[in-house]
Amino acid sequence: MANGWSVIIGLVVVVAMSLAAWFFSPKGANQVLWRSSLILSIASCYLMWAVTFLAQLHPLIEPRRTDLRKEYIHH
Amino acid sequence: MAPARDTPFRSADMSMVQLYISNEIGREVVNALGELGLIQFRDLNGEQSAFQRAFTKDIRRLDNVERQLRYFHAQMEKSGIDLRKLDLDVDTLAPPTTTEIDELADRSQSLEQRVSSLNESYETLKKREVELTEWRWVLREAGGFFDRAHGNVEEIRASTDDDDAPLLQDVEHHISAPEVERSFSGMNIGFVAGVVARDRVAAFERILWRTLRGNLYMNQAEIPDPLIDPTNNEPVQKNVFVIFAHGKEILAKIRKISESMGAEVYNVDENSDLRRDQVHEVNARLNDVQSVLRNTQQTLEAELTQISRSLSAWMILVSKEKAVYNTLNNFSYDRARRTLIAEGWCPTHDLPLIRSTLQDVTNRAGLSVSSIINEIRTNKKPPTYLKTNKFTEAFQTIVNAYGTATYQEVNPAIPVIVTFPFLFAVMFGDLGHAIIMLCAALAMIYWEKPLKKVTFELFAMVYYGRYIALVMAVFSIYTGLIYNDIFSMSMTLFKSSWEWDVPEDYRAGGSLTAKLSDPNYRYPFGLDWRWHGTENDLLFTNSYKMKMSIILGWAHMTYSLCFAYINARHFKRPVDIWGNFVPGMIFFQAIFGYLVICIIYKWTVDWFALGLQPPGLLNMLIYMFLQPGFIDVQLYRGQKYVQIGLLLLALAQVPILLFLKPFYLRWEHNRARAKGYRGIGERSRVSALDEDDDAAAAAHGNGRHSVDSAGEGVAMMAQDLDDGDDDEGGDGHGHGGEFEFGEVMIHQVIHTIEFCLNCVSHTASYLRLWALSLAHQQLSAVLWSMTMAPAFSRSGIGGAIFMVVAFTAFFCLSCIILIIMEGVSAMLHSLRLAWVESFSKFAEFGGWPFTPFSFGQLLEESEELQEYMG
Repeated sequence: MANGWSVIIGLVVVVAMSLAAWFFSPKGANQVLWRSSLILSIASCYLMWAVTFLAQLHPLIEPRRTDLRKEYIHH
Repeated sequence: MAPARDTPFRSADMSMVQLYISNEIGREVVNALGELGLIQFRDLNGEQSAFQRAFTKDIRRLDNVERQLRYFHAQMEKSGIDLRKLDLDVDTLAPPTTTEIDELADRSQSLEQRVSSLNESYETLKKREVELTEWRWVLREAGGFFDRAHGNVEEIRASTDDDDAPLLQDVEHHISAPEVERSFSGMNIGFVAGVVARDRVAAFERILWRTLRGNLYMNQAEIPDPLIDPTNNEPVQKNVFVIFAHGKEILAKIRKISESMGAEVYNVDENSDLRRDQVHEVNARLNDVQSVLRNTQQTLEAELTQISRSLSAWMILVSKEKAVYNTLNNFSYDRARRTLIAEGWCPTHDLPLIRSTLQDVTNRAGLSVSSIINEIRTNKKPPTYLKTNKFTEAFQTIVNAYGTATYQEVNPAIPVIVTFPFLFAVMFGDLGHAIIMLCAALAMIYWEKPLKKVTFELFAMVYYGRYIALVMAVFSIYTGLIYNDIFSMSMTLFKSSWEWDVPEDYRAGGSLTAKLSDPNYRYPFGLDWRWHGTENDLLFTNSYKMKMSIILGWAHMTYSLCFAYINARHFKRPVDIWGNFVPGMIFFQAIFGYLVICIIYKWTVDWFALGLQPPGLLNMLIYMFLQPGFIDVQLYRGQKYVQIGLLLLALAQVPILLFLKPFYLRWEHNRARAKGYRGIGERSRVSALDEDDDAAAAAHGNGRHSVDSAGEGVAMMAQDLDDGDDDEGGDGHGHGGEFEFGEVMIHQVIHTIEFCLNCVSHTASYLRLWALSLAHQQLSAVLWSMTMAPAFSRSGIGGAIFMVVAFTAFFCLSCIILIIMEGVSAMLHSLRLAWVESFSKFAEFGGWPFTPFSFGQLLEESEELQEYMG
């Protein structure tokens, strides 16, 4: 069920992924690069998904169209 | 605390080093360091002109060799011989010894002489050949004239010697051909034969006609093949002419005119036998000349081919050698100890490597005295050296295009690696276009090596940014999935949360509204596909994308602002934290952080279930400033007080931003003064005498005095350290130079005004994310409806053909307009968001770039050498 809790669950997952990225980044001079890039990517993607999900959580308007044929409606 | 090793997070630690190199191995040491490419040498002979320097003579000599090599190259191009290019990835050049370079110089000297003498003789021979060819043509054509002229000799005679004609007529009738020929001279008619360029014929004729008042008979014929002008190797069309005229003076005049018109006059005998001999002779000579010419050509080509095999290597060797001597010219020479002293910047962590390189060179040369390298302390600002790899290089270039980061501040390229492609993807979100882009990027990465050689500039640019393209494409795939757009179509990946609310008496064309099918189910990933093609989908996506732009902008700017804190902590400037970062952050969050929280809060509330009117957030924000305390439609209880509180909090930050830092700095300065510290190089005025001194010091720049107390040997060097490169960057705030409260205050006022206004304008600037993504989506929808949609509505063979055409148009236009053009535009907008909106929050960009003496870079950057390298 994808309801309002998904955002929180998603956050937990993303934090877990970030932690994994932090600890499993390859060692060496570029470790800081790996960490920052991975975590920043995960965070940006989560932010975008969460915003999209929240925008549809309690919609203020409904889809409306006039060009549908009867056979198509129930698909 | 300095990190154990350099990371891309900050620019590398730099040290000023001094090198003492024995004079004998100076060249070898510099050569080795050039291969290493880790030291940027300072010019220690700033006061000497280029001519006074020690190694100018060597540079001159190498310049000459270089000129000779270029001469060979030009000759090769002239004779169409291909140069064997040097591929530095495959071939390696051992560092040359001095004797090798000398040999090279001698060799190219003798080769130049050979080639130029061969060339000279080739040109003389060629000229001779052209002359002979022309002569042959004249002989051939003139012979024709004579033969024709003899047929008419009677008439000519009749017309000229009318009086005594009857007397000799019978005799004339019986004479044989050779006698007729002789009769020309008897008639006192002479002729001039030669060759003139065809485009000058008309002028030539006119001049002759006018000067001789028509007393001439001119005959001409075109030479069918163009002749080659030996001076510039260009083909010229020429005509043979023969002019008959009466009288010696006139003939002389014709000769002169011919010469002045650039015509060549050739000797042609009147007598046909003699002429035949002449033709034979000319032919024989021409053959000789041609065979010699061929030989010369062959020798020259063989010589050049020989050279072409190693020319590239020579050219590169000479360029390197020249760079070495140019560097040696920056060193100072200690005559007493016969050592060269060099100074420069190098990365601190690479010092051991440099040391071992120096040791190697010394060992190889078998010298007992080793070169010495030691770090010296300086208050100069070190250069910014940001190490890159294949992946980060292009990102770093984007950042460097804006400016060079201050030494050791957070490298702005680090966040850019993700934020730049991500913001691009927000504007470019379309799965179909992203996949094409991903394929292109992957292809460029897969065929990395062969594609590197492509020199077509536009492609080289795209190739350079292949990793950026890769990350951009990957993020675009994600945003495409979120927007649920693939070539402007929707994917029905999950069950929609909407279903159509169909009335009983529904007829096609009637209005339909959807309703939520399950109150507990929402479309789990991205936009619900039910919105696709509806009448009000723009209404919905606009509201969603606009809010998302604000949220992403807020996140991006907050994140960037946090780097200001990291920088302040790294540079140990707590005043920057308390006077800039904290009040700035509070100001920004009190207004825009609050807005973002409101946006999210509004989404989480089910307004219709509660029977409430959803508030307009834009109005809320406007009223928050214009009429504090007035709430149009309530969002939550106590909103009024929270908003007034936040507004007051934000306003309270302005004076802190304005005054805290300047006054703190002044207090700190005064305290130091009170304790008796003075700035370095600063002098107190005790007597009137000192004043002159001060003026003189000011004229010299600020340094000089600082080194009075330093050690003797080092002092000489360190002295001009200060006045040498003032251009290398001014000093930071507060330290060095006089403390000017006014200046600091003005600086801070500007910063405050800028920061507060920018909070507003930069947030608004992120709305471009919405605008561009809307434009992209609409444009691809239009393209679909103009090409593919009509093609689908046809059927039969015509429909199939139409489909092929429509798909071609659709695909090409998709690539050109939607991927390339829209991609470039989205990239530029994303670039601006990085440069302006993000960098202005934390980066100073007050550094100067580290440009080490490196053969690798030298060869890469030299335009001239590019044609020698494969």
